Amino acid sequence: MRLLLLFLFSASVFAAPVKTPQVEAELVAEREALVPGEPITLALRLKAIPKWHTYWRNPGDSGEPTRIEWRLPPGFAAGEIEWPVPERIPVGPLMNFGYYGEVLLLTRIVAPANLAPGTPVTLRAQANWLVCEVNCIPEEAELSLTLPVARSAGTDARWGKPIADARARVPVAAPGGWAFDARGEEGGASLAIAPPDGVALKGAFFLPFDEGKIEPAKPQALSRESGLLRLALPAAAQPVGPFDRVSGVLVLDGKAFTVDSPITARFADLGLAFALLLAFGGGLLLNLMPCVLPVLSIKALGFAQGEGGARHALLYSAGVLASFWALAALLIGLRAVGAQLGWGFQLQSPAAVAFLAALFLILALNLSGLFEFRFAFAGQPSGHFLSGVLAVVVASPCTAPFMGAALGYAVLESGWRAFLVFTALGLGMALPYAALAASPGWRRHLPKPGPWMPRLKRWLAVPLYATVLWLGWVFAQQVSFFHEKKDAAWEPYSAEKVASLAAAGKPVFVDFTAAWCVTCQVNERFVLARDDVMKAFHDKGVRLVRADWTRRDPEIAKALAALGRSGVPAYVLYRPGRAPELLPELLTPQRVLEALGG
Amino acid sequence: MKQIVLALMLATASTAWAQKVGQPAPDFSVPDVQGKAVKLSDYKGKYVVLEWTNPECPYVRRHYNSGNMPTLQKELGAKDVVWLTVNSTNQSSSEFKSPQDMAKWMAEKGASPKATLIDKDSKVGKLYDARTTPHMYVIDPQGKLIYAGAIDDKRWATEASTKSANNHVRAAVGEAMAGKPVSVAATSPYGCTVKY
Repeated sequence: MRLLLLFLFSASVFAAPVKTPQVEAELVAEREALVPGEPITLALRLKAIPKWHTYWRNPGDSGEPTRIEWRLPPGFAAGEIEWPVPERIPVGPLMNFGYYGEVLLLTRIVAPANLAPGTPVTLRAQANWLVCEVNCIPEEAELSLTLPVARSAGTDARWGKPIADARARVPVAAPGGWAFDARGEEGGASLAIAPPDGVALKGAFFLPFDEGKIEPAKPQALSRESGLLRLALPAAAQPVGPFDRVSGVLVLDGKAFTVDSPITARFADLGLAFALLLAFGGGLLLNLMPCVLPVLSIKALGFAQGEGGARHALLYSAGVLASFWALAALLIGLRAVGAQLGWGFQLQSPAAVAFLAALFLILALNLSGLFEFRFAFAGQPSGHFLSGVLAVVVASPCTAPFMGAALGYAVLESGWRAFLVFTALGLGMALPYAALAASPGWRRHLPKPGPWMPRLKRWLAVPLYATVLWLGWVFAQQVSFFHEKKDAAWEPYSAEKVASLAAAGKPVFVDFTAAWCVTCQVNERFVLARDDVMKAFHDKGVRLVRADWTRRDPEIAKALAALGRSGVPAYVLYRPGRAPELLPELLTPQRVLEALGG
Repeated sequence: MKQIVLALMLATASTAWAQKVGQPAPDFSVPDVQGKAVKLSDYKGKYVVLEWTNPECPYVRRHYNSGNMPTLQKELGAKDVVWLTVNSTNQSSSEFKSPQDMAKWMAEKGASPKATLIDKDSKVGKLYDARTTPHMYVIDPQGKLIYAGAIDDKRWATEASTKSANNHVRAAVGEAMAGKPVSVAATSPYGCTVKY
């Protein structure tokens, strides 16, 4: 008799569906039996009659998320509800997120390891939900499911597949190759979406996990930027708490991923005012960079010989501004037609590098006295204008602190804002020389001309020769594919690699660099190659990745854009569970060690 | 130098989303159940509570059947707080209540607001961006919005357990009257959708 009863119990699964006028509710399982120590997925099945719906974990402007309170025997553990992607349900001018028809809300239950096979177990739950058409009815049900216990269990014939299908519709984090980045905007935030190569996206929308952050009913404008999609996320009209993370489900052409991205106050969050400030500062600092300082010093020496004047200053500044505008127009124009370019793009072409090398050579030879170059325009108005152009041309291999962030902003904004940023950059750069030229008072402090001048010029020629050699090396790299002995510690970059390393919980340091970028070379040789810094990387188990942008590389350009930068250098430290940290363009060993130590 | 710049940037970033709470409450004029026009500006100099309601909504019914809402209306009324109950259900909706029906329902529940307003064009609802019933707003005597959101912190409750919830409106009025800043100034409202 007992054998018969056991047989009956083990062969069937008892569940008691509850029916209300609008909803049929029951607990169902993916497998035929509980296996001690193993997890099993159960589902709360809610089937609403046509036109009625229940709600997602964030119900939207109104409504109520479904809740399950488990009443399990001792030793059992239940997880949180795993929600399949909901539908957007507009209600007049408002928006809800929920499910029409049937939905399976999944929960993983783990049976204790000491459960004895043979005795069936009854799992109970109290489920509460709100079901609405125009009006709403809160409902609840006491549900139970009795399952046999066995040493192994196959898939349930009736519910195994529907539960597997529902699981496929529960969004998870995106696989490697995808990159997301959130930044603050006027009136909300925006999410940059960088798909893997070859994936074209048509549409996207975002469902926030939390209420009071993103406005459910407002449209989310989608814009394209060189390989990226940017989704505008309008802030809630009545915000609750700070909006400092973009956390929810991103639905893309039928795929759905969970996204959890902090809205970091990176330089890319700058308002225009700050971008202008940084651009101006960067322009000022550009005068001190090794590319520019020797050339400008030579020109400044001209003041000792009586050159100068307000007109000189104005024409010089005009030359600088015009050159920056031309570069801006070229950069923005090319990006608008889809080219994956960033600042420094002018140096990615071997022809430009060769031209610059020749130019520096002529200047160096002139300074050394080896080559008399009578500048045909010297002393004339156009000469002053062309000095400004020359200054910008020689500045192009260098970037200054603050410039990277300001340019990142400019390039990603485009339009009149970008031109304003380039204008601020130009003004900052022109200011010291123009001020010196325009004010006779300052010039009186310069030493009187004398035999020291040719000697000084010869000394100043040295950095210029060095620049020629360096540009020659860059040219060789670009043209002959000859690379320096590979630094074994650094792996070549790919977005896939960084994502998979990060997913595996490994810290990663990415060095975005280029042969033609002076600041990059200085940082690499004097900071990153240091013994104490390399030791710190090694001790913390940080994987080192180098993104070499010496030649055009759309993948790297995209990665830089997603970080809010448009050029090199850029240094990013990825640590598991934390937001990626961008380091400054001019590195110090202390700064790197501080970032690693934290 | 970089720290200062970063701090300044963070400061501007956080003020980018303006709070509705803290701004002046917009004025309106809408008829009550007797047909008399009621204006918010009539009550300048007093605390005003705006309560969005809809008798067809189970959440509203929970708060009225349990006596929760009528008790609060009486309690605050005794402190000279002006309570205005607003029904913004659009007249085109199946849930629209005529002024007579609304008055009768309020009387049955023992409600005692200063006035019950019939916002049949949903104008005031849209002006205040009311989403749910109930949705509560508290305005101070200077006309500034000091609280917006849910009536209490127990979204899912029975009629019995609703009394043990933390009532945000009672707390906000109490703190403001004591000269203290409102500790919970904005919450996500819960309830049924306003039937625009």
